[in-house]
Amino acid sequence: MEKPGKTKMKPIKISRRTFLKGSGLAAGALSMGVFDFTSWSRTSMEGPVTRIPTICNGCGNRCAIFAYVKNKRIWRIEGNPEANGNQGVICPKGHGYVHDLYNPNRIRSPLKRVGTKFQAISWEQAYKEISQKINLILMDNGPESIFWVNYPMPNHGYALRLMHSLTSPHYFTHGSTCFTARNAAWNFTVGKLPANDLVNSKYIMIMGRNPAGGIDLGQVKDIVKAKEKGAKVIVVDPRHSETAILADEWLPIKPGTDLAFLLAMINVMVEEKLYEKEFIENHTVGFPQLEDEIINYPPVWAEKICEIPAKTIVRIAREMAMQKPRALIHRGYHGAFGAQYLNSFQTARALAIANSLLGNINREGGIYFSESANLGELQPTHPAPAGPSSSKADGTGIPGRYPLGSYGDGITHAIPELALRGILKCGFVYHHNPLRTNPNPKRVIAGYKKLDLMVVIDPVLSETASIAHYVLPASFYLEADDAVDTKHSGKQAQVTIQQKAIEPVFDTRSAFQIITDLGKHLGVGRYFNFTLDEANALRLKPFGVSLESLKAKGVLPVGPQWKEGFVKADTPSGKVEIASAVLNELGYPAVPRWEAPLVSPDDKDPHSFRLIHGKQAYHTHAMTANQPYLMAISRRYDMIRLWINRARAEKLGLKDGDVVQMKSMIGEGKIRVKLTEGLHPSCVWLPSGYGNFSKYLTTAYDQGLSYNDFLPTLFDPAVGHAMASEVIVQVKKA
Amino acid sequence: MARYGMVIDETKCVGCYACRVACQNLNHLRENEAYNFLEEREYGKFPNFHRVFLPVQCQHCDNPPCVSVCPTGASYKRKDGIVLVNEKDCIGCKYCIAACPYNVRIIKKEGYIEKCRFCLEFVEQGGQPACVTTCMTGVRMFGDLDDPNSEISRYVAQNVHLLKTYKEEFDTRPRIFYKKV
Ligand code: SF4
Ligand code: SF4
Ligand code: SF4
Repeated sequence: MEKPGKTKMKPIKISRRTFLKGSGLAAGALSMGVFDFTSWSRTSMEGPVTRIPTICNGCGNRCAIFAYVKNKRIWRIEGNPEANGNQGVICPKGHGYVHDLYNPNRIRSPLKRVGTKFQAISWEQAYKEISQKINLILMDNGPESIFWVNYPMPNHGYALRLMHSLTSPHYFTHGSTCFTARNAAWNFTVGKLPANDLVNSKYIMIMGRNPAGGIDLGQVKDIVKAKEKGAKVIVVDPRHSETAILADEWLPIKPGTDLAFLLAMINVMVEEKLYEKEFIENHTVGFPQLEDEIINYPPVWAEKICEIPAKTIVRIAREMAMQKPRALIHRGYHGAFGAQYLNSFQTARALAIANSLLGNINREGGIYFSESANLGELQPTHPAPAGPSSSKADGTGIPGRYPLGSYGDGITHAIPELALRGILKCGFVYHHNPLRTNPNPKRVIAGYKKLDLMVVIDPVLSETASIAHYVLPASFYLEADDAVDTKHSGKQAQVTIQQKAIEPVFDTRSAFQIITDLGKHLGVGRYFNFTLDEANALRLKPFGVSLESLKAKGVLPVGPQWKEGFVKADTPSGKVEIASAVLNELGYPAVPRWEAPLVSPDDKDPHSFRLIHGKQAYHTHAMTANQPYLMAISRRYDMIRLWINRARAEKLGLKDGDVVQMKSMIGEGKIRVKLTEGLHPSCVWLPSGYGNFSKYLTTAYDQGLSYNDFLPTLFDPAVGHAMASEVIVQVKKA
Repeated sequence: MARYGMVIDETKCVGCYACRVACQNLNHLRENEAYNFLEEREYGKFPNFHRVFLPVQCQHCDNPPCVSVCPTGASYKRKDGIVLVNEKDCIGCKYCIAACPYNVRIIKKEGYIEKCRFCLEFVEQGGQPACVTTCMTGVRMFGDLDDPNSEISRYVAQNVHLLKTYKEEFDTRPRIFYKKV
């Protein structure tokens, strides 16, 4: 396949000599001493071992771990049993990603692009040149021409503070390619994103979420425990997911039609009066409007659309109602309605409402509001910056543009568009790789290349880093202390902390330090006059726990235990909004109604499929395909393949392992197929962790394809999300 | 003396491979060297479909063909039930690889043969094997089958009718028992 960007992007060469000279390392460092696996392994079967509590960085779950160091080398990790999120266990990515500390592709010092090459420079020079350039750009274009985009890490508050110190509103996360439809729907219905009390549930329905593949360790443990106590588990997914392996029933829904299934379930609950009457009367608004709308969606109607038999929908609605309120439909993540289809917002709304009809909101075994750790403020010790006075240029939260979009997350895949329009002029990309994780890479490359200054903070030369003007090498998580985190909050809030287990291998700095250093060089140092320890101590102050005890334990519970019972929702009415007056005012349906996906495959064309995607348990986004231990799994078990329904494949003359040509309106590529009975016939499924095209990633380079190579640049008209499964492909034998 | 054994619940494995990498780390293995493997099987036709991941590793057989074919005595069986390879005596002839019906022996880069060691050194210090402790669904259980009060002994006593050994036709008498789908 013509790799995205290959034609436009001349490979940038690092002259090895300058690179090594600049980083102050001898050429053989990686094959000597502690870096060399063979010699370390020989000497280290025995030897003193130290154990450091910290957090994993293999994915966004940030599981609490103990890192074991033997003879100055990271040996292995274990799960911290105290943490709500991972409950003592660790996934393959967690174990495998530790080896990236010693990956020869790591950047060893700051880099500056000179023509088509990168030159190693000092931190001082990098900061000086970057800040000079930014100051000039901001003088000409105003403070809102700078942005920061990241996959949020515990230090994200400091990145936001940096943008606010510069009075720019343009802080972005990856959210619009991931979960913003789901979040918006839960916000409009119950006021916030809730959690699932899986462990106490008696009936668990999971739609398009796959915690055993898009790993959530604690959720899987809880599902297994619930099953041991007799719970029934239903997985609704076009693909027989890894979670479906644990389920009592797999319902292979036609992709893009989960909304029809949910509307029909609600129809049954309403028609047969299976809902929790007391809850509906006292704690919700708009039920009569739902009654009026829902008569349009009987199960026989849904069956034609979603291809799940009407009698199955009726049965499941009744079974769930029998177990209410200890029955739940998983709150979801990316799959099915995170940022997938034109109807994703309505789907997530229907899902939230179906849960409400079960009366399970904030109930044991239902959907609950987890306890949150509200970290302390740095002020008044360190006054907060005033912040921006303009709104975000992506239009999030603005009526007439993307009123249901998340202002906090922004629309990440709008950054290239805003750059092409000259609105964004310079920016930082940290712990994020938009050239690989945003749709339509050619467009993304064109956008990011339009920037007058682009600084990437990353441990390796990712696709995005390889087109940057400057690359600042962030320390690997095992080498750096960082900000306190609240990720593990559940039935009780928890705080965790990232601590260095080992001294930095190269001339790298922690992201926290890079952010505060940048603040100082950009003339807003007055907002960054604190050390990490001081800031962490201030953040922990409200809980009455000391930084020292957190460092010793790695995880600490803080605040009260969750209590069952619905009191009040953070919505305008204070109740669960089955009908939303705000949505109505903005011109959207007050109660969910059927909406077809934007595009659908052509039933009459044997080559036409919807392209859907999902995670494998051993890869995270585009980040881990460069990790040899994880890629060894993909290769040994032949996992870099496109799944296709066996009957449909045979009609195309395909056999297991054949190479196909796949083509969409924006891209094409070749890949081998896996024939399976475990996939809905209308779609093909591509694992999402592959398709890296940076030549600096020697293990990941040119392995498989990414769904983003096929996905056009789309913005859902209300939320602005990427509609990541609204893409039809043509599949032919190559 | 302890006699170690393992139960593997094949109804619970979701094919995540955490056990593979956890084992590699604990035992200092390279990325292409593994002591445990998964065999994936599919059953049925769309939409009535199911698949199973079967975790396979050295079965620590009580009648180990790898030990009987080893010309140097490098492959041996310990009193505590663990089958091991003494790397110093291993000449890399690969007879054991041919004799093992489970395909679980590998050639290390150094040239000798290795395989699952039931995390021996770790277990002797009171630990549990890495593949046991890392698994989110709790597929494996490990312990002393001679101690009637151990968790695994009690489990085996209660579930004996559900347990099978793998590839019984080879009469290897494994110390790993599978709970079947
Ligand atoms: S789920 Fe895996 S990769 Fe993600 S943080 Fe936890 S152990 Fe690390
Ligand atoms: S860790 Fe558990 S679920 Fe994952 S592959 Fe191993 S046995 Fe299966
Ligand atoms: S028992 Fe130990 S050596 Fe054997 S497969 Fe499990 S982790 Fe590896």
